[in-house]
Amino acid sequence: MKNFFTSPLAKRIGAMVALVATIAVMTGPPGDPTHPMAGFTGSFTERVSFFGLFPAPRGVLFAALGLLAAGVVLMYRRQAQPSVAKLRDKVVPQYHALAAKKPVRGLWYTAVLLVAIVLPHVVTDPFWQSAMVSQIAIYTLLAIGLNVVVGFAGLLDLGFVAFYAIGAYVTAWVTGALPVPAPFHHVIDAFWAIPVAIVFAMIAGVLLGVPTLRLRGDYLAIVTLGFGEIITIFANNLYGITGGSTGSKQIPHFSFHLGSLKYLWGLDPVPYYYLTLGFVVLFLLIFSSLEHSRVGRAWVAIREDEVAAESLGVNPLKYKVMAFAIGAASAGFAGVMTAGQSFFISPSTFTLAFSINILVLVIFGGMGSIMGVVIGSLVVQTISMYLIHTPPAGFQNSDLYIYLGALLIAMMIFRPAGIWPSKRRRREMTPATLEGEAQ
Amino acid sequence: MTTPLYDVKNVTLRFGGVTSLNNVTMEHRRGEILAVIGPNGAGKTSLFNSLTGVYRPQEGSITFDRDGSTPLSVIGKKAHRVASAGVARTFQASRMFPAMTAFENVKTGAESHRGFGVIGAMVKGPATRRAERASDERAWELLTFVGLEKQANVVSSSLNYGARRRLEIARGLATNPTVLLLDEPAAGTNPSEKVELTELIRRVRDEMGVSILLIEHDMKLVMSLAERLYVLNFGSVIAEGTPDEIRANPAVIEAYLGAADAGDEKEGR
Repeated sequence: MKNFFTSPLAKRIGAMVALVATIAVMTGPPGDPTHPMAGFTGSFTERVSFFGLFPAPRGVLFAALGLLAAGVVLMYRRQAQPSVAKLRDKVVPQYHALAAKKPVRGLWYTAVLLVAIVLPHVVTDPFWQSAMVSQIAIYTLLAIGLNVVVGFAGLLDLGFVAFYAIGAYVTAWVTGALPVPAPFHHVIDAFWAIPVAIVFAMIAGVLLGVPTLRLRGDYLAIVTLGFGEIITIFANNLYGITGGSTGSKQIPHFSFHLGSLKYLWGLDPVPYYYLTLGFVVLFLLIFSSLEHSRVGRAWVAIREDEVAAESLGVNPLKYKVMAFAIGAASAGFAGVMTAGQSFFISPSTFTLAFSINILVLVIFGGMGSIMGVVIGSLVVQTISMYLIHTPPAGFQNSDLYIYLGALLIAMMIFRPAGIWPSKRRRREMTPATLEGEAQ
Repeated sequence: MTTPLYDVKNVTLRFGGVTSLNNVTMEHRRGEILAVIGPNGAGKTSLFNSLTGVYRPQEGSITFDRDGSTPLSVIGKKAHRVASAGVARTFQASRMFPAMTAFENVKTGAESHRGFGVIGAMVKGPATRRAERASDERAWELLTFVGLEKQANVVSSSLNYGARRRLEIARGLATNPTVLLLDEPAAGTNPSEKVELTELIRRVRDEMGVSILLIEHDMKLVMSLAERLYVLNFGSVIAEGTPDEIRANPAVIEAYLGAADAGDEKEGR
């Protein structure tokens, strides 16, 4: 029995159930402050159309969708089964032991995810509900994206806000909220702005990356800082295009129509929270496979010794641009979420301080460590929001950076590699303990 | 005789007013163990860096031909481009990826020449997993080949010098090269490690069919290993021949061997 719970099949089924339940709750009806669990239970009991055939509870619909998805995944896995015997398991037991994740860790992740799902039904204070979306979840997305650039590829990017701004402005553009008409005079949903904004942010990342990523270290930081400023100045001064310092007109809320599945995000922050949470989980999964892939190892190789990496045929520029584009895409995506949720954007959001703020989250959590960055975002942003919500005597919002600065200095003294550093970064930063890890 | 692997013609490399390589012409024949020797500052490493695309000589031509039908003009090509054409190298001061384990170091070499697949890497598709497994097998094979399988999981910066040298060779071989360039592979190793290394280099050529070009100060190692040598002095080739011919060449004895012997004595102290 114990074997079953740790078997890959059980993990896959568990993951599928969790995913389907998350989507069900995400798209389900929102609760209200007087009945905090109503949205949660309603997500499963509400009667909806079963693929347009007959009415059924949402729980049944999503169970059917889950089975369908599980079937597809199982077929895909079967096909993926390589004809070569599981050679790695036989010949590299040590390596396998190192790479194997402990089942305890999986339980932890599930528990954290469950807490995250239930949280908005427990925390009903409107300030915190709104902060959980716009200040914590979206910042976590941004930090995970910046971590790819700074943590994985080792490129110091001080203009990350530029891609975030591009995502937000593209959303405003395609939904018709800017002075310039939407492309082809055809206004689309904020939800479908996601792919458009990601593409635009990636293009911007590549355009900025190709000429500048030949630079190293400080020089790159200066150029990216400049790029961030340029975008902000554009947003401020191109009045006829961006609306200048007054910002955009009202951006419509997210809505999603696909066949019989239909959902409209309104003023309530909770559905946005679930949407963002879903994407945070998705990005976590994607980026952690990326980290442990050939691409991730190429980034480490370039970061540790570019000359040696190049002598193995690794093209440093290609991989750096790739990291830049991936980081830009996630920032662009976060921009869409912000635009859709706050229904208004103006250049005053997109400042250098914002880029620095995201960088603080990454450094605090531990560069290169995905879980560390998530924890860093949660901790730092919660502290910031707490200070703003219940300010100590004489506290002004602009004082926030004094506190963050002090926090960062304390971190650099006591835990220079971050709260939860990646194994590799720890090795890079403390060579003295290397012998202990050797077997 | 087929076309040579490396065909170097009249190469001159200058750094400002300093001429590092002066009209160097040499050829590396397929399958041979070729050595370049010369006193310190003779331009050996400059030659290596020119052959691998790190430096860009102002004059002359360098042609690398992997299989006798795909000549590649090296000058002006980026180092990674030359590497993927089939040139692997090691460095004078060994350059590992310090925070990676020995296994990961070799694996990075094994997968560097495979396709792009960033989407595959994100979703761990079947092709990606097959490639991962193939790289694992190859990395393991090579670690076993150089005798480091027991240290597969050791972080490379905590390996001893001799092991690092062998690891660097394994990592280079992982890219499936046609030629392996070794920049002073025996530097900093002890006598028993030197014997092992000589054996290993010979096995690389005999068992893997990879041609070898090496720079080395240790005359005993060079003379027992190399089939042909070039002698550089002040950036120019002053002699070429078999070990026996080089030993008997008066110009070489004057320029290099005498000085090297003195150097060896100093080292041995």
